[in-house]
Amino acid sequence: MIKPENQVSLPTQLPAGPRFTIPLRFRDRRRVTMLITLLILGYVTLITLPTMIPDHFKLVEAITGFTENIKIMFLQPHLSNTSWLSLLGGLGQSILLAFLTTLIGSVLAFFLALASTRRFAPTALVLGIQSFMAVIRAIPTVLWVLIYSVVFGLGANAAVIGITFHSVAYLTKVYADSMDELSPEAIETLQAMGLKRPAIICQALIPYLKPSYLSWTFIRFEINFADAVAIGAAAGAGGIGYQLFMSSSFYFDFHEVGVMVYLILAFAVVLEIISYRLRSSNTAQH
Amino acid sequence: MLTVKHLAKSYNGTKKSLTDVSFSVSPGEVTVIIGPSGAGKTTILRSINQLIRDDDGEILFDDVDMRQLNRRQLRDARSHIGMIFQNYNLIEPLTALENVLHGCLGTKSNLAGMFSLYRNSEKTEALQLLQKVGLGDFAYQQCRNLSGGQKQRVGIARALMQHPKIILCDEPIASLDPKSTTVVMDLLRDLATNDGISVLINLHQVDIARTYADHVIGINNGQVVFDDRTAALTDTAVTDIYRKTTSSERSLVYEG
Ligand SMILES: Nc1ncnc2c1ncn2[C@@H]1O[C@H](COP(=O)(O)OP(=O)(O)OP(=O)(O)O)[C@@H](O)[C@H]1O
Ligand SMILES: [Mg+2]
Repeated sequence: MIKPENQVSLPTQLPAGPRFTIPLRFRDRRRVTMLITLLILGYVTLITLPTMIPDHFKLVEAITGFTENIKIMFLQPHLSNTSWLSLLGGLGQSILLAFLTTLIGSVLAFFLALASTRRFAPTALVLGIQSFMAVIRAIPTVLWVLIYSVVFGLGANAAVIGITFHSVAYLTKVYADSMDELSPEAIETLQAMGLKRPAIICQALIPYLKPSYLSWTFIRFEINFADAVAIGAAAGAGGIGYQLFMSSSFYFDFHEVGVMVYLILAFAVVLEIISYRLRSSNTAQH
Repeated sequence: MLTVKHLAKSYNGTKKSLTDVSFSVSPGEVTVIIGPSGAGKTTILRSINQLIRDDDGEILFDDVDMRQLNRRQLRDARSHIGMIFQNYNLIEPLTALENVLHGCLGTKSNLAGMFSLYRNSEKTEALQLLQKVGLGDFAYQQCRNLSGGQKQRVGIARALMQHPKIILCDEPIASLDPKSTTVVMDLLRDLATNDGISVLINLHQVDIARTYADHVIGINNGQVVFDDRTAALTDTAVTDIYRKTTSSERSLVYEG
């Protein structure tokens, strides 16, 4: 029997007294910053919004005009100034622009990814290439096209180079991330049989990379198609985007705009179906 | 054939994983290394083909010290040392045949390795090896669709494609069911008896070591505690190999 003075006891929890700490929601500096920013933005919006409305603005008329235009676009699409042939040609041009930029981009990005995957490259090179690519990615594609149009003039050349530039940066990152997933054991096994680096890349890395390479490249193709349409309008690079721009801003022909929107939509749906098939056939293999 | 002398290895400089390990492997024999988890079995095996660089000692493979080779010589030496892993380590998206063919890439040019340029004789040999391990019908199957036992047999065929003098196996049956275990062990036994290949196997199953080994090496705490013919592996010897090292003994080992 342990004497009472030697007995140990677990310390009892004292009831918590009042605490004088700052409430949690004010302690979080990020949250406070966010709140203040939102308040300021809200204030500025409330002040400026009334001044933006022009004097001759009539809400009811604007709304009816808007619905009228939407109706023309989507319910009465037909061609007047452009022929079906030139329209399809324009769509083809946009598709080819997307295809070319994705192709060049994926080849360049593959080698850049090899040079910046943690599996094969030294850390300094990985960090160097990846941060450079992050900077390129941070600037949107349209802006790159405009930057290159300073050198090449507005047109197809600037569009190809600008879109390719952004594609390379995007694909380098996703390819390198996929390459990082290669298990070190696979590399080690081939090393243990005396294989050299190039053989290991082709015999182990590429077989594992193939499915994600294909699906990422296809996703980029979809992005490039959307960009190609937008840039056709913005940088005069031709294609269906340019035709869209002409019929809407030059001829004010909303019937024609409707046809083009439907055409682009149809192609987007086709792309979506292909990419779905691609993905499900890849997952079926695993 | 293979002689390891005074091998020592420490991964982090303070704790020694191997202290003064010496043993030798004879041609055409199955040598089994047993010992408790963390004893250093994997470390020994991977030191032999220098997948990990050891700190001290000699590894004489056909009278050449593996530790003194330069990169090119090491690649040459490795191309004739087969290795078999617990997790098979196949390239899963490729077919069984392609995986077996990897075995002959160590002696071929970079170009052949990159573009899978194999001679017809090599393809025939790979097919024959797959037949030998009982997988002739699975040659064109993706490896990810094979069972564990089948994968390990592909691994053995791949090792044989290297025309190895020795095959190193790190727990080749640890993930297999009893039936596949027998198939794989019978195959390895057959390679030693009939093809004169030395087979060095890390095992956890003492009964299997007794059935298949010619020669058993017991490792405990980074040291060889048993090194004899299989017949000498008595129950007391096994208890001794798997004995827990007490902390006082361990500190003695480290000081010495
Ligand atoms: N990469 C590593 N870095 C640091 N320590 C390691 C490393 N690999 C192994 N060790 C240590 O070296 C010792 C021997 O490990 P080893 O893997 O050779 O044991 P083993 O006998 O193969 O064990 P098991 O039967 O569990 O596979 C262990 O104490 C382990 O903690
Ligand atoms: Mg081990």
